Amino acid sequence: MTSNYANPEEFGLADLLCCAASREVQNNEIVFAGTGLPMVAIMLAQKTHAPNLKLIFEAGTLDGRPPEIPTSVGDARCEMGASRASGLYDAFSIAQRGYVDLGFLGGAEVDEYGNVNTTCIGDYLAPELRLTGSGGNPDINSFARRTVFIMVHEKRRFTPNVSYITSPGWRVKRWPGGEIVHRRELYGAAFRGGPAAVISTAGVFRFDTESGRIYLDTCHPGKSPEEIREMCHFDLDISRVSGETLPPTREELRLIHEVLDPEQIFIPRVKKP
Amino acid sequence: MSNSKRITLQQAAEIVTNGSSLTFSGFTIWRRPMALVYELIRQKRKGLHLIEVNGGPQTEFLVGAGCVDIWESCWVGHELYGKYGANLSRKVGNKEILVEDYSHAEMLFRFAAAASGAPYAVTQTSLGTDIHNPEYDTLGRAGLRDGQRIARHKYQFTDDPFYGAGAQVLVPAAKVDVALMCVQQVGEEGTVRVNGQYYSDPEAARAADLTIVMAEEIVPEEYLRRESDRNTITSFEVDHILECPFGAHPTGMFGRYDVDGAFLKDFYGRTRTQEGYDEFAREWIFGLDHMGYLEKLGWPRMLSLKANTALNYSTGVKRGQ
Repeated sequence: MTSNYANPEEFGLADLLCCAASREVQNNEIVFAGTGLPMVAIMLAQKTHAPNLKLIFEAGTLDGRPPEIPTSVGDARCEMGASRASGLYDAFSIAQRGYVDLGFLGGAEVDEYGNVNTTCIGDYLAPELRLTGSGGNPDINSFARRTVFIMVHEKRRFTPNVSYITSPGWRVKRWPGGEIVHRRELYGAAFRGGPAAVISTAGVFRFDTESGRIYLDTCHPGKSPEEIREMCHFDLDISRVSGETLPPTREELRLIHEVLDPEQIFIPRVKKP
Repeated sequence: MSNSKRITLQQAAEIVTNGSSLTFSGFTIWRRPMALVYELIRQKRKGLHLIEVNGGPQTEFLVGAGCVDIWESCWVGHELYGKYGANLSRKVGNKEILVEDYSHAEMLFRFAAAASGAPYAVTQTSLGTDIHNPEYDTLGRAGLRDGQRIARHKYQFTDDPFYGAGAQVLVPAAKVDVALMCVQQVGEEGTVRVNGQYYSDPEAARAADLTIVMAEEIVPEEYLRRESDRNTITSFEVDHILECPFGAHPTGMFGRYDVDGAFLKDFYGRTRTQEGYDEFAREWIFGLDHMGYLEKLGWPRMLSLKANTALNYSTGVKRGQ
């Protein structure tokens, strides 16, 4: 029997990330989508294993089924096919009310407890580089049951101490003192979960929800657990590796490139050898 | 007629005096009042305090021009066309601007509080993050928290006194002098009809003390009132109106025109330095009025952005690689 999985030369890293993200989505879930690759991933899930997922765009589109990929969540392409086109008040109050199962987010830095930074590099009061700021990252991460981060893997980005905790991980700061506590203690009745996975350009990482610590789950094709541990500034747990990240199937690749993102807005096509 | 709400672009910009606090319609790179932002830059407005649910090109243009002293929001960038706000980033590095960071939901709830006349909002977002680090209260550090227009505290914590649900964050209402809105249609009496996602426009218009609406077209009030259930903002919430076609360019407008990604990419790429910004502003802002700007853009470019009337977005604009 020939495998439906594509061979390594048939897909790029963006394809692999997109499919790994798509497989985090379960059918019937309500999913909060940010701009970029996650949008393609969710729409891919919608067209494959999760036809009943409900999509929320932060700018106000609720239960969206866009016929064409939007370039951002404010895009005029979000509205058509949706249950409602509304505004941020609806999107955020629905999220705070507890409807959201899964959110996809990005980050510039992540620590071993899943705290993510998108605000600045260096001292906040005199930063080396000011980034975009939080956007809805901490909100979706506070409200959803699970969040999945998609990140470029560079050693400096996988750090024991992020410059600024923009988005809360499993062990966070209790203000005004700043003591580190488990997220469950701080969120009380509003606790629903937290970061479930980080999908980087090297592998897929998950979290032990009790200790809050990150561990390596799967390595992308061609990477070893030891190599990936070397790519982190913190001491990465590689004792729980379950194998290699599954490659895209040919059907997933066809959907990505012929149906979802034919304009190559987010996912470039690999050159045929 | 003396009770007319109609004003010109120049008059609208003059209403925004130096030191005003300002907010805008739209969401990141969609439906921003850009023509009015350019006019504020031409009039060399100073000391503005921007309070935004989220930022975008309007922030970057005003910040680059040196019009802004304080930016209070959660995000700035150009989405796909520029990954962060290069002008804000430069000014933060040079300590030329004060930045107060909240989360997106916190900013939204701050506007919702102001819009409903409440002094603050309560939420459970962003607990445990550096957004609530007391050392990072920028306006407090600058001694600006007078309890008048700027709240006495950046935030407060409380425990739910009603149901025992645990820690809650209180964030102050966003008190804003002027809201500058950019929409598809406004009636002669001020009724606004937004098509597509209305983002945080209803809250912004109601929260501000004074609301100026710039529309693609001013339509007969009676036309909008025939189907009042489709309208977004009430007539009396709007103080002034003006007609300004393509007024959101380079940002997009549902049903009218797409985002001009090439323009934003060019702006982002060229304005990393102050010299680059100044040159960009000389080319696209100074010495032009709105019609001159549109003439410079030219018909072919504008037509490529024009939305298909069945789909509400352009089928001719180049988006990908």
